[in-house]
Parts: sequence; C-alpha cells; structure tokens
Amino acid sequence: MRTFHRLHWVAAALVVFALWHLGQAGWIHAKARLAQYLMQAAWERALRGEREPKPWPWADTWPVARLMAPRQGADVFVLAGATGRTLAFGPGHLFGTTPPGGPGNSVISAHRDTHFAFLRHLAPGDELVVETPDGARRRYVVSDAAVVDRRDLRATRPEPMPRLTLITCYPFDALNSRGPLRYVVRAAGA
Amino acid sequence: MDAGETRGRTRSRAWEITVDFIETVAFAAVAGAMASLALAGLALLLAAHAEAREMPVRDARAGTLFLRAHGSGDAMPAVLQATDVHMKVTGMIARVRVAQRFTNSTASWQEGVYVFPLPENAAVDTLALRIGTRTVAGVIREREAAARTYARAREAGQRAALVEEERPNLFTTSVANVGPGEAVEVAIEYQQTLRYDAGGLALRFPLAITPRYIPGTPAAGEALAQRHRQAAAPLRLAGLAGAGWALDTDAVPDASRITPPVPAPDTAREAVLNPVSMEVELDAGMPVERLASPSHAIVVERRGEGRYRVTLSAGAVPADRDFRLDWRPAAGAAPRAALFTEDRDGAIYALLMVVPPDPGRAAARLPREAIFVIDTSGSMAGASIAQAREALALALARLQPGDTFNVIEFNSTTRRLFPEAQPVTAESLHTARRWVQGLRASGGTEMAAALAEALDGRETRERLRQVVFLTDGAVGNEDQLFALIRSRLGASRLFTVGIGSAPNAHFMTRAAALGGGTFTYIGRIEEVAARMGELFERLDAPVLRDVAIDWPAGVEAWPRRIPDLYLGEPVVVAARLDRPVAAVALSGERAGASWRQTVALEGGARNGGIAKLWARHKIDALIDSGRDGASAASVQAGVVEVALTHGLVSRYTSLVAVDTTAARPAGEPLQSAMLPVALPDGMVHEAVFGELPQTATPALLHVLFALGAMLLAAALWPMRARRAAR
Repeated sequence: MRTFHRLHWVAAALVVFALWHLGQAGWIHAKARLAQYLMQAAWERALRGEREPKPWPWADTWPVARLMAPRQGADVFVLAGATGRTLAFGPGHLFGTTPPGGPGNSVISAHRDTHFAFLRHLAPGDELVVETPDGARRRYVVSDAAVVDRRDLRATRPEPMPRLTLITCYPFDALNSRGPLRYVVRAAGA
Repeated sequence: MDAGETRGRTRSRAWEITVDFIETVAFAAVAGAMASLALAGLALLLAAHAEAREMPVRDARAGTLFLRAHGSGDAMPAVLQATDVHMKVTGMIARVRVAQRFTNSTASWQEGVYVFPLPENAAVDTLALRIGTRTVAGVIREREAAARTYARAREAGQRAALVEEERPNLFTTSVANVGPGEAVEVAIEYQQTLRYDAGGLALRFPLAITPRYIPGTPAAGEALAQRHRQAAAPLRLAGLAGAGWALDTDAVPDASRITPPVPAPDTAREAVLNPVSMEVELDAGMPVERLASPSHAIVVERRGEGRYRVTLSAGAVPADRDFRLDWRPAAGAAPRAALFTEDRDGAIYALLMVVPPDPGRAAARLPREAIFVIDTSGSMAGASIAQAREALALALARLQPGDTFNVIEFNSTTRRLFPEAQPVTAESLHTARRWVQGLRASGGTEMAAALAEALDGRETRERLRQVVFLTDGAVGNEDQLFALIRSRLGASRLFTVGIGSAPNAHFMTRAAALGGGTFTYIGRIEEVAARMGELFERLDAPVLRDVAIDWPAGVEAWPRRIPDLYLGEPVVVAARLDRPVAAVALSGERAGASWRQTVALEGGARNGGIAKLWARHKIDALIDSGRDGASAASVQAGVVEVALTHGLVSRYTSLVAVDTTAARPAGEPLQSAMLPVALPDGMVHEAVFGELPQTATPALLHVLFALGAMLLAAALWPMRARRAAR
C-alpha cells in the first residue's frame, strides 16, 4: 500500500507542478489579453480628449496609440514606455523616440510571443495603421526587417521621415527568453 | 511473527520500495527524455515552418545592418579609415602630422564624416587633401564660409575636405566624393606645447572619445523636423547638421555633431576600426631618463644624446585609448627655464617656461576641508570605477586629524555621504570607506548638480577648502559647467582627476584652471598610487600666488593672469614683442615669503611655430573672456581675427580644401555617413548606451515544463495499476 502512496504522491506533486506552470503561462497570456480590454476603455477616454488616461487606477502607464496590421488581423494598444512591467500589458513605446504617428522614427517594442507574435508574418509591402489620441490615422508600409544584437541601437536613432520601427525578441520560438537577438521591422510613413 | 522476521520483512519491504523507486525514476527519466525530444522535434519543425514563412532577413549576422541607399548617417562603415601619426618633438614643443586615410569599400560614391580627438591645446594650421599623386592644400576661412565652400564642392561632385573644431580637443573631418574603391588621404598638422609637470614631460595623444553624456531637453519635434529638413536640403551645410547618436539639446546645442556612433565591441564588423600607427622623433635637447609609455608597448631607438625614435611595438593599434609618452631630464639636467623664439612679420614671438624653486621645508600644514566628488555614471562602469574607488580610498587614508571631509557621488542624481563635512575620526573614515566600496557606476552624468553641491560659493572659511573631482569628463555641456565653476567657486579650489583610457582632457584642464587647482591624469589602475601620491603632495605644499611678470610696454603676453602654481608646476607664457627685450623679472609669493627671478629673453632656441602657439594661447584667453562677460560677438570677432592671421582652426574658423577637377559624374548619387569610432578600452557598452528592451516571456517554457510534468504523472499511472494487479 505504501508503494501506491508514494507513487501517488509523486504523481500528485507532478500534477501540481504542471498546473502551477500552466497557471504561470496562462497568467502571462491572460494579463496580456485582459490588459488590452481595459486599455480599450482607456483609449476611448483618450479619444474623448483625456490626457494620459490610466487603464486602471494604479497603472503607471497609459495607451499612447493603437497599432493595427490589417492583413495579419492584429489590433493592439501601445503603452507609454517599454519597461518590463509595461510590456506585460501591451506593446511599449520607447521614451525619447517620436510619438507613434509623429514626424520621425517612432520605436515600439513588445513580446514576441504575445502582442508582437504577428511580426513574423509581416512582409514587405504590408500595411500598418497607427491611430493617435486625436483620432487621426496614419498609414505605414513595411519596408524591411533584420536581426540585430540587443546592443545595436541604430534602429532607434532619430530620423527625419515618419517611420515606425517595431522590435521584438528573436528567434520567435526560442525557449530562452533572455536571448541576445532582436527582430526589427521597419515601416515608412505612406 | 517474531521481531527478527518483522525486521527481515521490513528490510525486504524497504528493498522493494527502493527498487521500485529506482525503477520509477528511471522510467520517468526515459519517458521525460523521450517526451522532451518529441516536443523539441515538434517545436523545431514548427519553427522551421514558421521561419520559411518569415520575411527574408537581409543579413542575420548581428551588426551589419541598415546600410541604406540614402543614409542619414548610419553606422555601417562604408568608408574604412586608418590613421598615421608622425610627431617631431623639440624640447617642449611638438609638431604633429595626422594622416587620415579614407577608403571607399562600396560601389557607390561616398562622403565620410569623422569625429576625432586631438590634444586640447593643439594649434591646427595645415590641411592637405591627397588624391593619388595630387595634393590640394587647404585654406583657412570663417567657419560658415568654409562649410559653404565645402558644400558647393560636394554638390558639384568635386573632391573636398573640411576640418572643423567642435571642442578644443574634438574635431571633425568631412571628406566628400570618394569614388567607388577609391582612397584619399586627409593630412592635418598642428603645433603643441607639451606639459612640463613635476619635473617631467608628458606627451599625450588622444586616440579615443569617451562617449559624451548629453544633458538638457532635446529640441522639440518641430525644431527637429526643421533641422532635418535643412539637413536634407540639396545644399546641406556641413556646419549645421550632425548625424550623431544624440539629439541637440538646450544644454548641448551641437550634441548631434560630437556623438559619433560607437558599435558594441563584438558587433563591429571590422576587427579594428581605425587602426593607428605612430612615430615620434624626439629631440629632448638634454640627456633623458625614464623614457616610457604607460599606455602602449613601444620600441625605442636611440639616435644620439637626448634623441630618440619611438614607434609602436604592435605596428598599428586600435584607436581605443590615449597614447602617452613620458620622459624626464637626467639628474642635474633639469631646466630651470626654457625659451623658444620666432621672428615673424616684424615681431618677436616668445614661449617662456620658468620653473620656480621648490619650497624648502613646508610651513605648518593648514587644516582643511576636503570634498571628494566621484563620478558614478555609466561611462565609468568597468575599469574606471575601480580606479576611482581606489584613488578615493587612498585620499581618505591621507586625511589628518583636524581636517573635515565629505564625499559626493553623482550620476543621474547627486548623493552626499554626510549632510555636512565631518571631522576626521576613525568612525567617520570607516563609514566613508564602506560607502565608497559600495559605489557602482550606472546612469547619466548630471555633473552640474554635483558641481553645485561641491562648490558652495562661500568666500571666507576658516579652513583650506579643496574639492577633488574624480571623473572621465564625458559630458557635452562643458561651457555650461565652466560657467558654473566660475560663478560658484568662492574660496574653494577644484582639483580634477581624470580617470579611464580616454578622459576629456579639455574639460579636465579648463575646469582645474578655472577652479584654481590642477589636473591629474590616471590612465590605468597601476598608476593610481603614484599619481594620487603626486596630487597629495600638491595639496599639502604651499602654493605660489600672485605670480606676475613685469613686461615692458608693447608686449602682448598670454595668459594675462598667471594662475596660482602648485608644487612642480612651471610658469608658461607666450608673448609677442614688438622689439627685442633683454630680460624680464618674475615675482610671486609663497607661504609668506616672496619670490623674485629675472630671466633673459635673448638667445632662445629658434622654433618655427611659436607665433601659432601664441595665437592659440590668445584664442583660449578670448574664449575665456566670454565667460567673464565679454559679448559673444566681440569674442567671435577677436578669435576670427587672430585665427585667420595665423591660419588656425578655431571654434569660428575652419580649414577647407577643394580639388577643382570634377570627380563624381552628374546623376550619380552621393552617400553620406558619420564614421563609427571605437569604444574606449575598459568601458562597458551597455552601461553607456543601454540596450533594446527584453521582449520575450517565459510562457512557452512554463508550458513545456507543465507538459513534461503531465507526461511523467501519466507515466506513473500505469505503473501503479501494474503494481496493484501483482
């Protein structure tokens, strides 16, 4: 009987372990999705003219733009700042770069396995649309993509023309979430 | 069932459990491994599939990216570059030729913009543009006129070169219309006074630029767009637009011109950016001992008494640290005074150096208030912060009972150890040592706030107040900081200690001069003890004050006011005499005793560049007068007049050379790039520039763990049933 107990315990422990990990994975994705729903409401407030609308009372970020990729069916709200905390909830706009839709190089970064999973399906010529808080929409056309080292900051440098630079981790299916490479998609204002 | 039988059965039971457990674990391991393999295979398959659908990545090698047809200055080195330096040293004067070779490695026409350092007191007077066997000499022009000349040649397809001063120790060479596969050479020459200090001569040739921190608020979106429109206009003014990694700000209006791209060391495509070779012909004019380079391995050939030829052992080296060469006069041969003269345009120019006698037994040491300021910004990360901490530990150990002290660290914010300066006690020293040991380097270099904390502007104090400032000087807002030092110095004295392989010597020397102190340079950790030892002797020895030279009328001497001199520092002055003067008297006062000395102004060594050194001293003095309230327009007019007369590059004058033969056919586009420079040795790239955000979640890993555990649990299930059936 004791043998059964031991195996039982081991199996049970394994199931708990499995559930915990599933929970972690689920929580990451749930947070990513749920936050976007809350962002929807905040964005509507932004469109009505509220400045820096907090999606929930204790949030330290707010939506600054809405990013759409019609062919890929992606539609996400971009948050202010690209810190680890912000990126759990949505794509983050890098402080110091041109605001999305603005006249310069606007850099947006997001997780490769949630909000920016669609980046791998973008092809040159694809359309990207940015909605700004004043309700205006600006179109961009994807020009190229490249893989860079994480310390290579050239893609974030200021530029004279309207440009959208989307950055996520690379390779897309790597198990290591702290790898050194980044996938950079660049789109020019149309 | 007796006890023995029970024990036996228990033993066999225990054995059974053990076997069972091992069996379980083995099975689990095999099952787990197989499951993992299957999953990994599946993942790979999916990934390969996904890869196939992805956009073709142009070049998956890191760091070889974004070479664009019409660049706004991306870092990919389309133009490769190498430098040969030749120096001729006579006594304490150096004549240097820096030949920059630009090679176009692409199939299109290129313009290269190269930002590079020179000694902070270099008087740049010559530019030669060489294409094949043809050489075009540069001419000196007002800065904007030179930039226009260059821009016109650039648009007309003519080969042209432009040399501009960004800071006294930071220059830009622009070279236009380098044809596919073609090489051109831009050679510049300068004249320089070497630093005679603590009984030795020090030659320092900067080879690297520590990336400058740019404080202030960037130009607003519209102003920026405006600037870029100007940049993109057909007649781009080289003097107006920069393509560096920083945006212009209110504090550093030319930030984009002084921030050349710095690739992360192992992502640079070329193994060595800008290899440098160096040759020094030294004629010391006296027997020499201890000729050595603390920075590089050198080969020394003796050519006669006090004459040497010095080259680098490695041939060519990466431009990632300053080159230094030090020597001392042999015992007994040390000069008490040196004079160099030049007759030019009906005037006599003289460079005079006088070494005041050492003070005898020092007078009683005065109690002091020592304020140590340590730069803990990102550019100090790596080797520099270790040097700074060690230097500071030595400084703390030198404090005497009766002194008071405080320590201030700064990066993006400023933090002080004690709210007020504390008396030196075992306890306060212990607290300070532990605090210093814990200092880490990261963040920005908001130096103005730290200087404002350290210099309180008070004029009267009961103690000698000495501020020792340890930094690499990696800032772009030098002018702002100089103004701050001037206005808040009060009775304090500011001593700068330059740390790292390429500190900003312009900032260090000017800040110390304005602060009434001295500049100490520590290049490597091995030098900390020796250099700090020299500084402590200086801090303890009495100062020679009120140094004056009674020039006869008709003499224009620079600097106007001789600074206070610390132990081992000479008087250095450049003068323009309208007729011969036999001798002048120098005087000063030290620890209550007066010093008086007469030196002859005849029979000095003839040297061809003294007029230019005099002009350079005058330009420095004029720029300084701007900080004392002279109007910007009058400063500019004064500088332009001197610089044009003597043919020197300055803040307001540039050298430009145009080869009038058209080179680039009309219709062929011209690409332009700011050339990348090497990160100085010992620095940490991420600590200065940051990195792209971390953009992956461990969700997939969690799912895999969960799947693995589930499979294991499932594998244990049949085993349990099997066992139950037995």
